[in-house]
Amino acid sequence: MTGQSTVLAAEVPFPPKVEDFYLPSILPWGEHSVWLTKITALLWISVAIIIIFFLVSYRKPQLVPTKKQWIAESMYGFVRNNIAIDMLGKRGINFAPYLTTLFVFIFLMNLWAIVPIAQISPNSHIAFPAVLAVISYVMFIYIGMKHHGGLKYFKHALIPPAPWFILPLLIPIEFFSTFLVRPFSLAVRLFANMFAGHMLLLVFTLGGFAMLNANAWFLPFSLVSWAMTIALTFLEFLVICLQAYVFTVLTASYVQGALADEH
Amino acid sequence: MTGQEPPRNPSGDDQPPPDTGMGMTAVAYLISGMLVWGAIGWLVDHWLGTKGIFAGIGAVVGIGGGVYLIVRRLGA
Repeated sequence: MTGQSTVLAAEVPFPPKVEDFYLPSILPWGEHSVWLTKITALLWISVAIIIIFFLVSYRKPQLVPTKKQWIAESMYGFVRNNIAIDMLGKRGINFAPYLTTLFVFIFLMNLWAIVPIAQISPNSHIAFPAVLAVISYVMFIYIGMKHHGGLKYFKHALIPPAPWFILPLLIPIEFFSTFLVRPFSLAVRLFANMFAGHMLLLVFTLGGFAMLNANAWFLPFSLVSWAMTIALTFLEFLVICLQAYVFTVLTASYVQGALADEH
Repeated sequence: MTGQEPPRNPSGDDQPPPDTGMGMTAVAYLISGMLVWGAIGWLVDHWLGTKGIFAGIGAVVGIGGGVYLIVRRLGA
């Protein structure tokens, strides 16, 4: 490393590292205190926003909805009609409240990635998607066991309709794809998307500064880099909506599989 | 909100419910078939001291099993 680039590295932290996701404590107390970081604060704010918004907008429901009530109703209606009922049929109404909560929560948590000042999504830490995935995992197994009656669910889930001599080949595949891959892929899909999104925005923003610091004549390239940041922010918004939707749809799909009868 | 009656015809037509998660399930079957039986073949390779022939056979057989599962579980 030349002397110049070490000086630069001190000015603009480039390239971005995984450590950039571990933000300093807002309110430090004790040793190595990371109890209250931006991530924690964003989680609390998200939960507070969701609770307060839905309580306020549906406190006095009108027959002709007010604007707030209309927004709340269309979010709930979207998840109920287009995800819950479409995938689970009439029983879907029972799952609509949970699926709506899941959708709104993931959407808001993801949205912090592009909100100015916040600029990072709590979901870019694997812990948050992992807990959500574990909830979905435990839920679909519990529902399956309740629907089919205890261990009969595992017989239903693991033994496909096939001749006996091919079953030893298929049962390990079924076990792996249903009980091992599902929670893992749910968590990793959401986490990786949010992690990569934040990383991408960091690379283009900091890259612009790094180039400008290296040579003032690189200004046009820096401007292109920052324009790319803006364009990628819009792409990020697409990813945010899509991932919230995909997580909800897959949870509904797993519940659908657990409730399915022999065909 | 939860008390409201949902529309009779949620998607606006009489189609059966779309299986949006089907694609993921199919991909999961294919990949897990290859991984599970590939890994078992790899273990057999270790036991017998062969250089990967059983891992290869396992992966192919596993994909076959995955395709069969997709046909049985997701096919019409």
